[in-house]
Amino acid sequence: MTESPHGPDAIAQQIANSAASCGISLVATLPDGWITPLITRFASDQRFRHVAVNREEAAIGLCSGAFFSGIGALALMGASGFLTCVYAITKINYTYQIPLLIGITLRGRLGDSAKFHQSNGLYLEPVIAAIGMPFVPIERGEHIDRLAGAYRHSRVMSRPVVVGFTREVLRGEA
Amino acid sequence: MSFEACFRLLAERLKDDVVVTSAGNCSELWWEIIGDAERVFYLEASMSLASLFAAGIAMGSPKRTVVAFSGDGAFCMNPGMLLVERQLALPNLKHFVVANGHYGSTNDLPHPFGELLDYAGVAKASAVERIYEFATLDGLAQGLDDMIRRPGYAFAVLHVAPLGRHASSPPLDGPEVKFRFGRYLERTGGPQIFDAPLKP
Repeated sequence: MTESPHGPDAIAQQIANSAASCGISLVATLPDGWITPLITRFASDQRFRHVAVNREEAAIGLCSGAFFSGIGALALMGASGFLTCVYAITKINYTYQIPLLIGITLRGRLGDSAKFHQSNGLYLEPVIAAIGMPFVPIERGEHIDRLAGAYRHSRVMSRPVVVGFTREVLRGEA
Repeated sequence: MSFEACFRLLAERLKDDVVVTSAGNCSELWWEIIGDAERVFYLEASMSLASLFAAGIAMGSPKRTVVAFSGDGAFCMNPGMLLVERQLALPNLKHFVVANGHYGSTNDLPHPFGELLDYAGVAKASAVERIYEFATLDGLAQGLDDMIRRPGYAFAVLHVAPLGRHASSPPLDGPEVKFRFGRYLERTGGPQIFDAPLKP
């Protein structure tokens, strides 16, 4: 069976291409069901060093340290994991002004059938706004290259930037 | 062993290595002893992320030895850090846990898990291959070079007494720590960090 040019694996390939294009070579991840193909892509793509971490804050620590060795990094996680990282982000990336690109799933939006993610979804974007973090939603396939722009923006402003993927984009349906 | 004597010995022997210190006594005492704000990143109050931050530095700096200090309070928050460090197996990453059984940054409040937990045992159970325990200055003096200079990720427990006094935090704002440390790395053969051109 041939993979659809717009299916999850193809979308994962596009996201990986965007990440590579802007200089990202380290990707630290913790799973969310929506990003399984994306994590699989990063883990198998020779352009990246993929590190599966024990918790989301570890990705913040590792990727922030990597800044000092000239390595471009992406911390990729689910929305709920991101919400556990607020202190690590404000402590490390805000206090020391260390740039970082974070990729998350936009859980809790219309169409997310997981009841256990709805409360996270209610507060996800308000929390991002509350800590003043630039937020770049990726809601359509043609928005994927915004990831590279978000990475560059984090470098220019010396602060973290978060990109959020919708379920529809990750499934190749938008 | 005495916390202060332990750190004085380490400071004497780690003169060329990059160091990441964690919250409280580790940062305070290191600053008090060496007053160095260039090859040391004082990562205060990261709640257990000092060693993984150090791993990120080590990952792209294979010719440097990167030394991380975690407090035992930090270790108990995140013992899973060892699984990531084991997986990374960075030959230039050396991780010390400073076990004094107290929260040194908060007036030496006793640490409730200090007598229960075998830190080296946790490392062993995490499949870390090179594990050291130092409870005396003589032992540290004898074993330190093997831990630091022999290539390979290594983890060590430093059994020290509580500091028993207040020490001052490094008088540095975050961006100053970042720039001093980063410029030092750039100046001493590291990659360009701050003004690296961005890809279009």
